[in-house]
Amino acid sequence: MSETEEVERSSDDGDGDDRLTYREWAAALREGTLLGQECSKCGHVTAAPKAACAQCGDREISTTKLDTEGEVHSVTTIAVPPERFEGDYQVALVDLGAGRVLARIDGGRETVEIGDRVQFTNAMEADGHPAPVFEPTEG
Amino acid sequence: MPRASVIGVGMTPFGVHEATLPELFAEAAFPAFDDAGISAGEIDALYFGNAMGGQTENDTHLAPTLTSHVGLAGVPAQRFEDACATSSNAFKHAVEAVEAGLHDTVLVGGVERCTPETGLGTGAMTRIFASASHRQYEQPSGLTFPGVFALLTKRHMYEHGTTDEQLAHVAVKNHANGTLNPRAHFGRDVTTDDVLDSPTVADPFHLFDCCPFSDGAAAAIVTSADTGASFDGDGVAVTGIGHATDVVPLADKTHPSTTQAARDAAAEAYEQADTDGTVMDLAEVHDCFTGAEVMASEALGLVETGDGGPAAAEGRTSLEGEIPINPSGGLKAKGHPIGATGVAQIVELTEHLRGEANDRQVDDATKGVAHNLGGDAATTVVTVMEAGT
Repeated sequence: MSETEEVERSSDDGDGDDRLTYREWAAALREGTLLGQECSKCGHVTAAPKAACAQCGDREISTTKLDTEGEVHSVTTIAVPPERFEGDYQVALVDLGAGRVLARIDGGRETVEIGDRVQFTNAMEADGHPAPVFEPTEG
Repeated sequence: MPRASVIGVGMTPFGVHEATLPELFAEAAFPAFDDAGISAGEIDALYFGNAMGGQTENDTHLAPTLTSHVGLAGVPAQRFEDACATSSNAFKHAVEAVEAGLHDTVLVGGVERCTPETGLGTGAMTRIFASASHRQYEQPSGLTFPGVFALLTKRHMYEHGTTDEQLAHVAVKNHANGTLNPRAHFGRDVTTDDVLDSPTVADPFHLFDCCPFSDGAAAAIVTSADTGASFDGDGVAVTGIGHATDVVPLADKTHPSTTQAARDAAAEAYEQADTDGTVMDLAEVHDCFTGAEVMASEALGLVETGDGGPAAAEGRTSLEGEIPINPSGGLKAKGHPIGATGVAQIVELTEHLRGEANDRQVDDATKGVAHNLGGDAATTVVTVMEAGT
């Protein structure tokens, strides 16, 4: 587990503070960077940016760059997908040391199991929204 | 100390219905009026649940449409939406309203259509259901609702050793109970092999681990604990309602397979009723998927944490077991018209606590608990009911 690091970024969203927006998170993800937030009060790290900390409610939350490697917390192979998706594919909760992210696993069914090491590769697109994609870590 | 009294209940069979949402609602509401022995003029308000009518049938602002349809035009009417916990939240507010003296007697109910009668197939309906997951951080991955509960259940299996066979036993039990319920969507038995051999939807769930898409409606008449005995309908006491939420999205829940909202809601409901899970005579729980029943049975304290799978496999949660779970057949066999499910659980508890559940009656039932879950386990409402007003 490595320390999360502060990330410099522009705050031109006009909302008068430097809180990470979804637009910025999505743009970074598309460019290959997985951003999150860290609460300055309780230390909770999330991969799903919010307006306040989901654990303690504090509004002092800074933007951090998340680890790109982690361990599968849980995983399922979706065989009956929603409209606009093609099955089969795996969706997993990935523990990143600090923070946990929901991600698509690159490959078909049964590519990874709980406890497997996985690494962030890129973003996929659905309905104009990106989702992080992970793949098994080599070796 | 009872918080309110349920004096009348009604529901449609769950299954496939051509009837419109207002027509279906009337098929549940009028039997509830008649069961309570009251006329429309004695009802002061409607607390109503419908989760997805806007998406499925282009039908919103349903509360006043329904009051007009069933002869209650003019009363205050409100609609609740909390995914699959929609109408238990309506029920909670109905209980609070009569308890606080805002109204004397109210109608609470829910209606939904989810089958191809809506004109929507499996892919379209799967997408609409997925709208209850996080729009930005979950839906783009292609996560489905079977997928949400699969992620929770796979982790439960990893942590507690719960097996596919134990999950299949939940389906076998609930189908068996469904054969005794004339209102159940599925009225036939299945075997563990039937479940395990059925196609995978989202592993570990096979088709028979999943509840069906159903149409239906359910209704109840709620009045204050003080006035409950003055109606013809045999009153059943509502002694506790707990309601809690957990962090959204799933990835941010501290320990996803714990289903913390269910534990928090249960603790609140049991404290109000001065009781606990170990003394319940029956439970109606939100078994949208077999794994959801396993986790609910543990969160409600009906069995020890980690013991939900073995309890189902050993028959401890069957109709003749120590703690019958889902005597109605549950969502699994009775069916799951989303916005009607919460109140349908109240209907089932009421019938058992009155001794009117016929072939599936739990003997000498005096205390029951209902557990209705919404979204990615982010909303849970737990209700304790007891025989007598």
